[in-house]
Amino acid sequence: MSAAKTGDASRLDQFLAFSAEVTAFGVVELQGTGQAEAYLQTVDDVVGAALVDELLVLHAKAPRATGNEGRAARGAHLRRTIFGDGKLGPVARNIVKLWYSGVWYELPGAWTETYGPAPQDVTFVVSPSSYVEGLLWTAIGAHPAGAKAPGYGSWAAPPRIPRFADDPVSPPSAEPVDGTVDAERVPA
Amino acid sequence: MNKDAAFDAVIVGAGVAGALIAKRLTDAGLTVLVLEAGPGTSRGLDDYTRHLERFYAASAKSPESPWPPAVGAPQPDTTALRNNDGYFVQRGPNPYGSSYTRLWGGSTLHWLGVSLRMLPEDFRMRSLHGVGRDWPLDYTALAPYYERAERAIGVSADVADQSYLGVTFPDGYDYPMRRVPPSYADRVLGAAVDGMPITLGDEEFAIRVRSYPAARNSIPRGDYRPAGAVDIRAGDGSSIPPLQGERCQGNTSCTPICPVQAKYHAGKTLAQADLRFLTVRVQAVASKILVDPASGAVQGIEYKRYDDPEAASHTTRVATGRTYILAAHAVENAKLMLASGLEGPRGHVGRTLMDHPALYAWGLAPLDVGAYRGPQSTSGIEELRGGAFRARHAAFRFDVGNDGWRASTGAPDTAVSDAVMTRNLFGPALRAQLGATLPRHVRLSLAVEQLPDPDNRVSIDPGYLDPLGNPRPVIDYRIDDYTLAGMAAASDVARAVFRRAGVTDCTDPSKGSWFPSVFYRGREFHYHGMGHFAGTHAMGADPAGSVVDADQRAWEHRNLFLVGSGSFPTMGTSNPTLTLAALALRTADRLVESLLP
Ligand SMILES: Cc1cc2nc3c(=O)[nH]c(=O)nc-3n(C[C@H](O)[C@H](O)[C@H](O)COP(=O)(O)OP(=O)(O)OC[C@H]3O[C@@H](n4cnc5c(N)ncnc54)[C@H](O)[C@@H]3O)c2cc1C
Ligand code: SF4
Repeated sequence: MSAAKTGDASRLDQFLAFSAEVTAFGVVELQGTGQAEAYLQTVDDVVGAALVDELLVLHAKAPRATGNEGRAARGAHLRRTIFGDGKLGPVARNIVKLWYSGVWYELPGAWTETYGPAPQDVTFVVSPSSYVEGLLWTAIGAHPAGAKAPGYGSWAAPPRIPRFADDPVSPPSAEPVDGTVDAERVPA
Repeated sequence: MNKDAAFDAVIVGAGVAGALIAKRLTDAGLTVLVLEAGPGTSRGLDDYTRHLERFYAASAKSPESPWPPAVGAPQPDTTALRNNDGYFVQRGPNPYGSSYTRLWGGSTLHWLGVSLRMLPEDFRMRSLHGVGRDWPLDYTALAPYYERAERAIGVSADVADQSYLGVTFPDGYDYPMRRVPPSYADRVLGAAVDGMPITLGDEEFAIRVRSYPAARNSIPRGDYRPAGAVDIRAGDGSSIPPLQGERCQGNTSCTPICPVQAKYHAGKTLAQADLRFLTVRVQAVASKILVDPASGAVQGIEYKRYDDPEAASHTTRVATGRTYILAAHAVENAKLMLASGLEGPRGHVGRTLMDHPALYAWGLAPLDVGAYRGPQSTSGIEELRGGAFRARHAAFRFDVGNDGWRASTGAPDTAVSDAVMTRNLFGPALRAQLGATLPRHVRLSLAVEQLPDPDNRVSIDPGYLDPLGNPRPVIDYRIDDYTLAGMAAASDVARAVFRRAGVTDCTDPSKGSWFPSVFYRGREFHYHGMGHFAGTHAMGADPAGSVVDADQRAWEHRNLFLVGSGSFPTMGTSNPTLTLAALALRTADRLVESLLP
């Protein structure tokens, strides 16, 4: 969806387009976290802007996807050129993890030996809000521990796992065990 | 050395035990000085929020992560266990896996809030089961104080769920707030296992998933007003009256920090005390009890006061009062006694240290159970807390987790890492995989009873001092066969529960977070501490095997009281705080009687 319009866009837009594709969240959702600038800055700081540009340019060049076959071809292309690449793969995976959990994870030792040094490459939470804005919570129908509390009694109901574009499988859906599941819910 | 003006009572420690006594005494018009080792940064809302942000920003979200200690009041940290490089000097053979918090508010800042009563049989282990020792009081004597404790700390539960294994309530009694709604996961698991028969020895039990009493705000009954967030302003010491307590919002972080303070912490009690009679001195570490060698009477408590939590520089002062109460936590109470040369009758101070060593069992449910939502747990399996089998092995209880594999494997973060790094997933495949598996994560905690063993102990050694020159606790700890056999039985039951519920058992400690291991009959168990320190100044009917009497009064120092779970002769399977709160309220009654003219 969003990947197509990266050609003439700004660097941040390119980063968002790449991020949207590899996280399966929309650009608007990513912007809604308020983390995009901080994450791009984090990646730039740790591995250098040149390497990030290399990744974004490659991504922008990936063939346009239309239909199921196109999507598969595009996925294979990304895997081959970016995720399967010794230099770009670990960085791309780190960007995925960054969006999902708000944490920059230290790169594999082999990467740093070959492409380093990267003095800022340690595991850290980008900021308190990056933890709170992790995408993983939405992906699993939950909320970050200690924030965005869903309200009194919400946990008595079955979870709602949001659907998303290109969802390849339908996860097993939760069935209420009996009719009393919501009996104790009282509006807060 | 400066001496402070005398108070009716000097209390060491602003945790739950100390706070309850401070409130009771000040309500009676008695003057109280509380010495608190740690900073008072949980008193004001702004500071409290900084603790929360510290938790958000911590890459290891351990129970201690929001609550860093001051240099002058160090504390144990579970992340230091593996390398044994923490505050405790662990001499083994088994590491003691628990921690506590040395800040205003104490360990209830990061406790989970499970507030079970002890069973009547727990008070009579020697008489009934031939192991451990009897308490000098029984369930009936403590029952009225349990009721008061349930009000004082604000416990949510329905009596209808809580009458089992001999626990009784007077007609018409109910908890101050309705039970916290059980989670969807509780109901899914309950639907599968309720009524399931379990055999231990020649006894048969029918187990069920049961809501447990929790010190988390819910819907009040009658005229009960739940206490809310505390906001005491530093300048004038005045307290904005605690706000009407917000209900539990389902933040899923009771441990280590409740963002909305729906969960009880001791600061709520301190904020409700009569502040005209209460002086709280923070950053004041009690270091020595000064005793008249002839009479044994305490004459003062020496403490070290620091201005800068980041530095070790301090001044030394003495606090004096008519009576003295050590409420510094089971380990620190014992340590303070030993540091003052007070070893108790027959050297019992610091001995019979206990915990509830606990195991995790985790698995994947066939359908979504809605993991990672709601309080970290809302229910347990309680039937195996009592029975004749306790003559042979430990009793145990299960906590049914709502937070998936967080405690056992570090999920959900580790699950993301695994999916991205090992399964090489990204994009829709990644999102779908997480959405299809994490909501099915099931976790049980199996908390196992431990008996008093005099060789399990807290001691001190002049070779190990903290930056203020106070001794660090030296811990000797061994998990014996009685507890190990209980672990074996508990693991078997957990396995059977998973089988019955169609949960794929994923319990594989080699793939989980690191925990110390113990071995029993060819089996290896990875255990963690529950934070349930007990037994270090046990109470007894006579001084022969105890440090304090049933009123928690030191046998050898009649104006000195040692309060908290250190006073427990045995600990059964209930989390200790409600019981230590009941004991503190009972002691407070005795103190009011003796101190009022
Ligand atoms: C992760 C975790 C989860 C837990 N969950 C539960 C639960 O669900 N249910 C339950 O019942 N229990 C639970 N507990 C245990 C519970 O926290 C303790 O039982 C309880 O807080 C003990 O109360 P206390 O007042 O005796 O000690 P604390 O709460 O530890 O308070 C002692 C106070 O004394 C101060 N102090 C220490 N030394 C000195 C000194 N030398 N001078 C002056 N002040 C001093 C400390 O700073 C502290 O403020 C849990 C513990 C942990 C670690
Ligand atoms: S679930 Fe959340 S709101 Fe409720 S007590 Fe725990 S931390 Fe507080």
